[in-house]
Amino acid sequence: MSFLSISNVSKIFGGVVAVEDFNLEIEKGEFVSFLGPSGCGKTTTLRMVAGFELPTSGEVVLDGENITYKSPNQRNVGMVFQSYALFPNMTVAQNIGFGLQVRKTPAEEIRKTVDEMLGLIHLEKHAEKYPFQLSGGQQQRVALARALAINPRVLLLDEPLSALDAKIRVELRQEIRRIQQTMGITTIYVTHDQEEALSLSDRIVVMSQGHMEQVGTPSEIYNHPTTEFVASFVGQLNLLPVTEVNVQNGTCKLNGQLVRFDHSEQSEQRQISAKPRLAIRPEEFQFGQAEARNVVLGRVEVVMFLGAVVRLRVRIGEALVSVDLFNERTMILPRVGDDVTVNFPAHACWIM
Amino acid sequence: MSSNSFSKPVDTKRDAPKARPALSGWRDWLGVAPFFLFVFLFIVLPSFRLLIGSFQDVDGNFTLKNFADLMDPSILGAYWVTIRISLATAFGGGLLGFLMAYAVTVGGLPRWVRSALLTFSGVASNFAGVPLAFAFITTLGRVGMVTVFLKLIGVDLYDKGFSLYSFWGLSLTYMYFQFPLMVLTITPALDGLRREWREAAENLGATPFEYWVKVALPILTPSILGTMILLFGNAFGAYATALSLTGGFINLITILIGSQIKGDVLHNVGLGYALAFGMVVVMGVMMTLYYFLRRRSERWLKQ
Amino acid sequence: MRRNTFWSWFWIFLGTLYFLLPLISTFLFSLRAKKDVLSFLSYERIFTDVNFTRTLGFSLVVAVFTILVSILLVVPTAYWIRLRLPQLRAMIEFMTMLPFVIPAIVLVFGLIRVFSGAPFFLTNTYAGTNALLVAAYAVLTLPYMFRSVDAGLGAIDVRSLTEAAQSLGANWATILFRVIFPNLRVAILSGAFLTLATVIGEFTIASFLVGIKAFGPYLSLTGQNKTYEASSLTIISFLLTWAFMGLIQLFNRGKSDSALAGAH
Repeated sequence: MSFLSISNVSKIFGGVVAVEDFNLEIEKGEFVSFLGPSGCGKTTTLRMVAGFELPTSGEVVLDGENITYKSPNQRNVGMVFQSYALFPNMTVAQNIGFGLQVRKTPAEEIRKTVDEMLGLIHLEKHAEKYPFQLSGGQQQRVALARALAINPRVLLLDEPLSALDAKIRVELRQEIRRIQQTMGITTIYVTHDQEEALSLSDRIVVMSQGHMEQVGTPSEIYNHPTTEFVASFVGQLNLLPVTEVNVQNGTCKLNGQLVRFDHSEQSEQRQISAKPRLAIRPEEFQFGQAEARNVVLGRVEVVMFLGAVVRLRVRIGEALVSVDLFNERTMILPRVGDDVTVNFPAHACWIM
Repeated sequence: MSSNSFSKPVDTKRDAPKARPALSGWRDWLGVAPFFLFVFLFIVLPSFRLLIGSFQDVDGNFTLKNFADLMDPSILGAYWVTIRISLATAFGGGLLGFLMAYAVTVGGLPRWVRSALLTFSGVASNFAGVPLAFAFITTLGRVGMVTVFLKLIGVDLYDKGFSLYSFWGLSLTYMYFQFPLMVLTITPALDGLRREWREAAENLGATPFEYWVKVALPILTPSILGTMILLFGNAFGAYATALSLTGGFINLITILIGSQIKGDVLHNVGLGYALAFGMVVVMGVMMTLYYFLRRRSERWLKQ
Repeated sequence: MRRNTFWSWFWIFLGTLYFLLPLISTFLFSLRAKKDVLSFLSYERIFTDVNFTRTLGFSLVVAVFTILVSILLVVPTAYWIRLRLPQLRAMIEFMTMLPFVIPAIVLVFGLIRVFSGAPFFLTNTYAGTNALLVAAYAVLTLPYMFRSVDAGLGAIDVRSLTEAAQSLGANWATILFRVIFPNLRVAILSGAFLTLATVIGEFTIASFLVGIKAFGPYLSLTGQNKTYEASSLTIISFLLTWAFMGLIQLFNRGKSDSALAGAH
């Protein structure tokens, strides 16, 4: 049996279904992200694990113990909030020691743990400061230390980085992962940022409108999305209308031209819709002719130089397609209006 | 309110090139000159006159006698009663006001109770003087409605030593404008308690009681004390209510000054100045305290 | 989450009793001017009393002048320290708090001592006295007006608005009267009604400066001489305060409505 198991959990707020039939088994030490747009039910699910919301049905079992109806202060589950939620009247050290203090831990032991935690987040020098004297990134690190100080069975993070600047966000993201791996703590991380979820997680749960879309490792989610929602929410996806789809052979017609696609997963997992479309990621394209690859013609409509990547918008038949190329120092950029030949391998595309 | 002194650094950071080069320094000051002139004429000058006057005798010579006269038992008594009544009503009104504000913010009552309470508080905190005194006379006076009602059910207030025209009667009357003021000023502070603080405390294992004792009340303390100081000042300077309720029967410092202006009791102008100056000193101390408490709570609550 | 609301209701109930009992007993008392029957006789007497309308009118006029003076004094100053002189903010805030430190009775004492003699002699003429009264009230209500206006300025981006207006070619008068004032309408109005509510029934300063001409002293005199009229006056003045507060609420609500409408 897994360490944390969330089974058949649903939550209804005044007739509105926030979470529907959520099922997930999390192993000890695993880092799982809930990824989805706002209002998809990811935070609600997290709050049910923390005990701030009661499930309408289903149960939450932690380490063999059913905690579904246990009050939040009995669960020993650490939580980090989006808005830090540090107690403004306490110093950094007092904030970190709060959980131990209400557990009536001896003062000496509290001091030891607080020092240890301060070391972990590299804020030893700020122990006696108040939250308002710290930057947002420092505050969130203190919040992390505060949640970890009680030695929780599970660590819950609710969009912990979304109030921070982009640069700090990346820094702190790596730090969270480092600390999580050092302590080997089971972690659930809620985010709407796919990059965070992909870079941090052992597994990702993609959610939409209250239900789970797909569960899998970052590379499974990105390379083998099982639903259109996942495919388009995680990463960029081009969808080109095609005709005469033949799943057995893995062929279809794009603007009357024969194109091969990957049909290995097609039969069991996906239904072909009435208006079939060829799905392909922008980075799979290359310019020029190539043997054994699909080759199509298009016209450049937009050129955006983004640094490491050059993003083009190319008109192929009816569809406007995003094409990402890696930048090279000597590369000559195509210009708007240029006619171009692009190619892509058959294994990179599939029918949705 | 929270944007006071903290907004400055932010503003200067955003202080991109100005749309038009600044007017030269001294002309900038012209913009605030009328305000300074007004404050000088109608606040500074009168205060200064009181200060000077309290060190002068009738002929305008320097003296400390006015302050020595303040030591007269009847005057010290007046200060003491005024301070006591202000403390009692600040504390009593503050407590009731806090509990009511608590009830409508975190106490789980329906929304309409809150708006009704806030509207009523707005009105009642502005209700003072003769009308207020009269309302209490018809309620708790010798033949007031509540007095008569209590007598009917066997409790004779006035037999038990209560009088509306005494210390406690006046305190009860003052409370009518005191606790609504508390409700009005403390409700925003209670609204400022963020849900995440409670959740974080619970999550870390604290009981609701521990949350209140260790987190919420410490956060609210500067606001509560600060507001009580405002209430203190509110009662300390009250004149109309006391005068019309007791007709000057209770020896309050404001009533002493009033008599001095009318010239019917004291005939020593210098003493009047000293009395007034004493009031300003007491209020000055209180307001300084208030200022620091407010600074502290704003600092905490800024995010 | 369910929680026990018993104590919440209890405190609200207690407070409501405190609020209502004095009003109810005053109201019932005011109906007893005729022996043995309930009547509105005392109200009739008040409304037909020339002094009632005269003093109320006088205090209203004083209030209007106070509001005008107060707006002209506070708005440009608060605007200017946000725009040009942020270093003066702490000082000006301190000054607007001074009226809290100086009780009304002390203020009027000082004002009389300063302005009744040389070189001002303000109290020698009616106009002078009335001007002094307006000034005293402007001092008394300065904290409320300043806070209200300053909060209003804080809610709009003064600098950007000013710069936008400047770049479109507006001069300072245009900026102040066509950009800043309209955006502060709600803040100014709520400050104004608070001033109105304070000034109308004010007793301390009025009684020493103009005496029975003002509404506050008139209330007091009636209270001493005519019992039933006093109780009906109490009810009337409570309703007046209520009306002013209601107007403040109305304008504040209007603000959020229009903000919503703007977002659509």
